[in-house]
Amino acid sequence: MSNNSFTPTLQALCTALLLSLAILACSKPETIKDLSDASYKLLNTDSSTVDFPQDYKGNISVVSFIYTHCPDVCPVITANMKNIQSGLEDTSDIQFIEISFDPQRDTPQVLKEYKKFFQLNSQFSLLTGEPAPVDSLLSQLNIVAKKIQPDSLQQDSSKYDMIHSNKIYLMDKAGKIRAEYPASNVPPKNVIEDIQKLR
Amino acid sequence: MTLLKHFLLVLIVGSIAIGCSSKSSSQKENKNVVLGKLELSNGWARPASQGQNGAVYLTIANGTASDDTLLNVQSDAADRAELHESYKDENSTVGMRPVDRQPIPESEKLLLKPGGLHIMLMNLKRDIAVGDSVSVSLEFAQVGTRTLQVPVKIQE
Ligand SMILES: [Cu+2]
Repeated sequence: MSNNSFTPTLQALCTALLLSLAILACSKPETIKDLSDASYKLLNTDSSTVDFPQDYKGNISVVSFIYTHCPDVCPVITANMKNIQSGLEDTSDIQFIEISFDPQRDTPQVLKEYKKFFQLNSQFSLLTGEPAPVDSLLSQLNIVAKKIQPDSLQQDSSKYDMIHSNKIYLMDKAGKIRAEYPASNVPPKNVIEDIQKLR
Repeated sequence: MTLLKHFLLVLIVGSIAIGCSSKSSSQKENKNVVLGKLELSNGWARPASQGQNGAVYLTIANGTASDDTLLNVQSDAADRAELHESYKDENSTVGMRPVDRQPIPESEKLLLKPGGLHIMLMNLKRDIAVGDSVSVSLEFAQVGTRTLQVPVKIQE
């Protein structure tokens, strides 16, 4: 191959690459799950009933899943949610929702304490509920959470840890899930960039 | 042409090398270890309410001339304290599990940090809020038991 014949091919290749990168960067995230017609009756920290996602339509929601007996990974997820919040110049049309996958122990009161201890402001909704609607929402969203009983504490059924999904979802104003991220380690700027595209 | 080929090759090999070297999974490092003593620093605890579980993080720098081992952890703020690690499994779910004694070779550090190794405080006896402090004791094979007070903070 001579230098002459190679260069145009390379040029074409580079142009194609740049073009596809540009398209990728500009395109809006596809719908992963459409919850626009769904309705799950959950409970807020003041024990009032909320309709998820209907009550949250009209705003963009950053949604994560936690259990409050989790001392390490879930607070990392919460810290990441806060970093997304503080990285946004304008949070006026954004809400942050953390849904418990441990409704047995995470009562509205327990979530209220968690919210207070982690200094989450009013843009944060911490939701729990009856096991049935919570479970059906979780399975709809492919969130898994499994109890594991530490051997040494077998007698006490209220002492368990959980192995769980590590996801943050971005839900648009219509109630469609548009993006998902690894909750504990996604760089906040990735989520913020997608939020700007959905605004 | 050969020059260009070489250039591309160097570029590819270079990026692979960078990709591999930036993946540091080790919890240990040996920068800035104060020689002559075992030093505990950067300790902090997460806030949590009574009955919940808490977590304590810190850096242990073994500046002594011999290898040491972290054997046990304790805290009067909780019913029980255990050394745990958080992990991801192949389905990208996350969990945590108790871990055994942790060796700390001479002039190395052991990092307890969010998402990794932590001292888990099980069933807290009282609320621990931002501004409070928590006492934790660490038992080492060589230097014996060290007790320290760590502030309660919110992760940045
Ligand atoms: Cu733990």
